[in-house]
Amino acid sequence: MSEFLKILENEVQIAALVFLALVYAGRLVWLFRFKNRKDRTFAAGSGGAGAGYSLMNIAMPGAMESTRKRPGFYAQFVIFHAGVAAAIAGTFIIPYAPGVFEVKGIVLLFQAVIAAAFVVGLLRLVRRLTDPVLREVSSPDDYFSLVLLIVWFAAGALAVPNRPEKGEWPLILYFGLTAFFLAYVPFSKICHYLYYPFTRFYLGRSLGHRGALPPSPGKRATAGTAKERA
Amino acid sequence: MPHIEIEGLRIEVNEEGFLVHPDEWTEETARLLAKAEENLDELTAEHWAVVNFIRGYYLEKNLAPMVRKMCQATGFPLMKIYDLFPSGPAKGACKVAGLPKPDGCV
Amino acid sequence: MKRRKAGPSGVVEAPLDVRTQALAKEEERPSVKDGRLRTYEPGDNAARFLDLLGRRVSRSLAVSLTACVHCGLCAESCHYFLARPDDPTMTPVWKADQIRKIFKRHVDWTGRIAPWWVKAGTVRNDEDLNRLKNIVFGTCSACRRCTYNCPMGVDTGLLVRFTRGLLTELGIVPEGVFNVSRDQWETGNQMAVTEQDYLETLEWMRDEVRTELGTNAVDIPVDKKGCDVLYTINPREIKFDPRSIAHAAKIFHVAGESWTLPKWGWDQTNFGLFSGDDKLGAYVARNVYEAAERLRVKRIVISECGHGYRSTRWEGYTWAGYDQKLPTESVVVTLKRYLETGRIAVEPSRNAVAVTFHDSCNIARSGDLVEEPRDVLRRVCADFREMFPNRRENFCCTGGGGLLSMAEYRPLRLEVAKIKADQLRATGAMLVCTMCHNCIDGLADVIKHYRLPMRVVQVMELVSNALVVPAESVK
Repeated sequence: MSEFLKILENEVQIAALVFLALVYAGRLVWLFRFKNRKDRTFAAGSGGAGAGYSLMNIAMPGAMESTRKRPGFYAQFVIFHAGVAAAIAGTFIIPYAPGVFEVKGIVLLFQAVIAAAFVVGLLRLVRRLTDPVLREVSSPDDYFSLVLLIVWFAAGALAVPNRPEKGEWPLILYFGLTAFFLAYVPFSKICHYLYYPFTRFYLGRSLGHRGALPPSPGKRATAGTAKERA
Repeated sequence: MPHIEIEGLRIEVNEEGFLVHPDEWTEETARLLAKAEENLDELTAEHWAVVNFIRGYYLEKNLAPMVRKMCQATGFPLMKIYDLFPSGPAKGACKVAGLPKPDGCV
Repeated sequence: MKRRKAGPSGVVEAPLDVRTQALAKEEERPSVKDGRLRTYEPGDNAARFLDLLGRRVSRSLAVSLTACVHCGLCAESCHYFLARPDDPTMTPVWKADQIRKIFKRHVDWTGRIAPWWVKAGTVRNDEDLNRLKNIVFGTCSACRRCTYNCPMGVDTGLLVRFTRGLLTELGIVPEGVFNVSRDQWETGNQMAVTEQDYLETLEWMRDEVRTELGTNAVDIPVDKKGCDVLYTINPREIKFDPRSIAHAAKIFHVAGESWTLPKWGWDQTNFGLFSGDDKLGAYVARNVYEAAERLRVKRIVISECGHGYRSTRWEGYTWAGYDQKLPTESVVVTLKRYLETGRIAVEPSRNAVAVTFHDSCNIARSGDLVEEPRDVLRRVCADFREMFPNRRENFCCTGGGGLLSMAEYRPLRLEVAKIKADQLRATGAMLVCTMCHNCIDGLADVIKHYRLPMRVVQVMELVSNALVVPAESVK
């Protein structure tokens, strides 16, 4: 392994991570400068229960009509983010626990997940380029972030076998892109994973306090017979 | 400008069926509005009692009368007003009397 | 909080006295900051708008503005887009982006340095503001259906209200909104009903109920101290259809309730919710809370109204900065209690016609009442049926958000009501029951426009129809 790759896998990543952490901290400070007004009403439910339910939203596709009606879309979401998790894990495993990727089965598993995410990424890019609503609202950041991830998945799928002696370019691309996007993420929509807990928490707490969430057990919005007698 | 065409005559109304030019109201307009907007084929003396009161009140005070005043003046209970004008005093009777639409979330 | 290029308006060093500074800080006026007075050229509404935006954003709104990932899942939850699937400007994401892009440009980070990269934008003049006004007042009923369908939890309904509030503070509002707000500020109720008209209508209804029941024991008390219940109503009930007051009086009498209406502070509706004006919201809600305190009641009961319920039961306390002291409930909950404890008896066969229930957005999505009206309806109707979807996933009546007072947006509203019409038609019911006065008119418009063979009723009317009046209450 070349000296360049060694530094890229280690020091550069750490530098990028530190940068990311600092910017995130700054972002949170910025966010907390905005104030919410205190709710002064008697509760009709539990803010905590509502917040908890709301935070679990990504794991409950049946909870929202939008994901219930589009299970394929939801499945794509799961695959894509599983790919993200795998690819991020890879950037830690390769420099610090390379033994893990000496197990062929694990390498294949990672490659499969990341490759699947790559395919989903392409599908989503096509969608973003062809769906009239998305074309109307998407910004350059939306397209760029997606393309960045697609290329990163490709690099990751090729890099995980971790064979620098067979050619370093997949690893260089993989770690290079990782360092880049760690620096880019806080200024882009990819940062949404930082905001997710906040939006869901505030929404869930407010609606939970009012008893609107979680929905009463057994009373689904599409349930009920057509004719109900007393 | 939206309008209703009825019996060969054209009446200018706003989006909700209220007369755009209240001063252009005639008894014929009332009859046509009642037909077009309230599905009333004819206006009886009781209908006219209500309509005339509303029109007179509006011309004097430039306001739509409260339904209570309508009932007092005509001697009809509230249910009767709803029987005569299915859309109710505001959207039904006032409309037929050629008033502009009342304000508020109505 | 934000930096704006100084246009014709600018900043002036003015030795402001301590009291003025304190007042300005308390009221969060953007024109005073750090002892300096920001001046605006007359008509420079865009500058004012941007300053207000920076000042008024709360934390929940800030995350809603930053968290959107443009996934487009909200599109199909909105009846505007479902009725106009070829129009991307009808989607919640597009509508929210109209205020989001301004936030990105003037308050957020990336948008200030490279606005084109994140599609940040701005408002430059009254034309832009007017365009924004038409979007947030005219293409959205703030029903929050999109909020419930967003995987990130972005609250587009609240963003729309927020934007409306900024425009309202500048006076850039539809005429109907201006008129009704003014009426509510000046007279304490949305329809400029005078105190005399209010009192006389109550007396009139009292007399009608006395005649109907054949007893003078029925009363509609006003400003009676020490009762259990303070009953608050919708001005529509005084001005246009007082039958619901008669129904309430009859039911309260049979239930043996100790109740009163207040002389001032009887309007439970609240145009501040629709216009986005928290100050109007606070003023109106506070009238009710203070009436309850003044009359030393034990409970505040709100007649059937969606936005009134949400405003008086929930938002009003926060707007007014007033800690809730008394239980505040919808009259439907009161009716439910009467039925369950046997304080009133009903004969459901009197409501033989098929009834379906329309959940109001402000009650089901922004409030807590979903099963309660159903519990009541199942007891007082012989044939109750659900519409689909229902409960928190129901579609807006299309008249929400104050749209009924904005005549210029009616054509679009009726066009997109096709979604609602289809939903109603599919139930096969003759009556659609709702807990909201706005929904009554919204649904009535849909029914008339799409020629549905249906009529709208409220829960109170159905209970009153089915009410069994025991002999002792008419002695």
